[in-house]
Amino acid sequence: MLAFLMRRLLLAIPTLFLISVVVYALLALKPGDPIDELRFGNPGFTHADYERLIKLYGLDKPWYIRYWYWLSRAVRGDFGPSRRYGMPAAEFVFRQRMPNTLLLSGLSLLVAFAVAVPAGVWCALRRHSFVDYAVTTLNFVGISVPVFWLGILLIYVFSVRLGWLPAGSLGTPGVAEQGLGAYVVDRLRHLVLPVLALSSIQMATWTRFMRSSMLEVIHDEYIRTARAKGLPERAVVLKHALRNAILPIITLVALAIPGVFSGAVLTETVFNWPGMGRAIYDAILANDFNVAMVALMFISLWIILCNILADVAYALADPRIRYD
Amino acid sequence: MPWPIRASATTRERPVSAWGLAWSRFRRHRLALLGGAVILVLALSSALAPWISPYDPARSNLRLRFSAPSLRPPEDPRALPRCSRERSFVGWPCGVHPFGTDDLGRDLLTRVLYGGRVSLLVGFAAALGSTLFGGLLGAAVAYAGGAVDALMTRFTDAMLSIPQFPLLLILSGLLASRELPWAVRLSEALGPAKSILLIIVVITALSWMPAFRLVRGEILSLKEREFALASKAVGASAARIVLRHLLPNALHVLIVQSTLMVGEAILIESGLSFLGLGIQPPAVSWGNMLSRAQEFLYYPNGIYLALFPGLFIFLTVLCFNFLGDGLRDALDPRLGRRA
Repeated sequence: MLAFLMRRLLLAIPTLFLISVVVYALLALKPGDPIDELRFGNPGFTHADYERLIKLYGLDKPWYIRYWYWLSRAVRGDFGPSRRYGMPAAEFVFRQRMPNTLLLSGLSLLVAFAVAVPAGVWCALRRHSFVDYAVTTLNFVGISVPVFWLGILLIYVFSVRLGWLPAGSLGTPGVAEQGLGAYVVDRLRHLVLPVLALSSIQMATWTRFMRSSMLEVIHDEYIRTARAKGLPERAVVLKHALRNAILPIITLVALAIPGVFSGAVLTETVFNWPGMGRAIYDAILANDFNVAMVALMFISLWIILCNILADVAYALADPRIRYD
Repeated sequence: MPWPIRASATTRERPVSAWGLAWSRFRRHRLALLGGAVILVLALSSALAPWISPYDPARSNLRLRFSAPSLRPPEDPRALPRCSRERSFVGWPCGVHPFGTDDLGRDLLTRVLYGGRVSLLVGFAAALGSTLFGGLLGAAVAYAGGAVDALMTRFTDAMLSIPQFPLLLILSGLLASRELPWAVRLSEALGPAKSILLIIVVITALSWMPAFRLVRGEILSLKEREFALASKAVGASAARIVLRHLLPNALHVLIVQSTLMVGEAILIESGLSFLGLGIQPPAVSWGNMLSRAQEFLYYPNGIYLALFPGLFIFLTVLCFNFLGDGLRDALDPRLGRRA
């Protein structure tokens, strides 16, 4: 197990390196450069300025040389400045954007999990009932609906028509001065619609998995044994069946964790939520390479780590699985 | 009901092929049949859009902005739009807007039909491309084994570890470039269909990995079976063994994967177009119809601009998911009926 873990962790290094080369090359080949932002915002910008800045930032060099500069500083933890936001790229990504995305995506994940597990178990226990059919159909709806369209409809119903909830953004400006209670309520009200929209897909996928996994387990012999020795149904379901059925879901949840960091550009766009997805999108469009690189590398790292985590969690939870 | 007797009687009279068995299992899957039928209707009506709709999808009519869905022509005769022909072949009469009109007075149903052409085309083409590419690559790599297999598997893992959406953004920006000589030559060669073809390529380039993994796994186990060894023993070439003997046995995986991929590709296209990076106007797609729809939510009748294109995306993807589910149950009975 330890050897497996070590091997996977060591393999992560060349994988990360490969990803950084591919992403950097693609970004560098993309039309436009980081100077564009300065040039378009400043009418006094001359061609001489342009040439000087291109030289200054080393943009006249081929991409692999620039990549080498970037890499040699990045391994020392220096990811360079963001030209767009006038601060270190790492600070912008981790201080300004990451907390917002952690809040929105993390909460969505929790909501999805909290709904999916009981719903899946319920459907498996009452197979072919009306509720089962309704939930199964809803699952298909959940995986088929475009998230941004769902977001727009939610805004229309709850914000435009009913006026119950705000249509977007982090919170009402200035509400913090009215005390902590008002602030928390305001932030929560702004979270309801985006969380609803964002959790829909995972809720549907996990409910479906939970249901089929529970169905596989519920007819096993040890469940019959548990029932035969007179355990209450509650104990049979929660202690014996659920603990085995939830294994595949652990893997799915682990694989969904990177999404908590990468954010969701479509949901964030619809709800005007300043998160990671939007930051990466803006950085790519504005050729703010340093921001895009630090964010993408961080997310890739999480994807790799969570893949390993999923395998490890699976092996820990199920002693029959061994890695050698 | 004496069903065992009937079943044994039919099997004695007429042997059933594997595909026949799959069809009989598929036929019982009502939602999948319904999904297939709806897709057929949508595809046909999109393909025949010029003969169904009396309007030009791009012609605006500023006297008739944001009109509500209605089956009656407008009262004010000045508001009557100019139709591309007096009355279409099949379809609805000139002056009627069954889904209402958008911010420029264009008929929404017409645009939804024309948008369906692009969205469905992108969906089908990208699904076909990614399953063919991923499947063939997976089969070849699995049969070759050794260093090639290890290297490609590593590469696939790396591709799956890069966040997909940013990569989509970068790629579509790259291919739409006006500064790279090869990209400019490409776009000149493609002409007005450029953004459609580009998005097909971009989606294909980023979604062949599941097909690769599925087929590689299948072929790895199939190539150890006796029939594969037998054909090797009689001297069949590697290409023949893979294409004639191994891949047909992995076909069910590819069929299910490509069906589900159509829905996936339509969702990706709509997302990219919503952000303004996919299909570019004047081409219409369901995704780019939605890209400005959010601005009009507070307008009277503005919701229809968002409602109808999204509804068609949703319906299409839903039907492909039903269809894929039914096909999986029908083609792979080992899985049993789970969902």
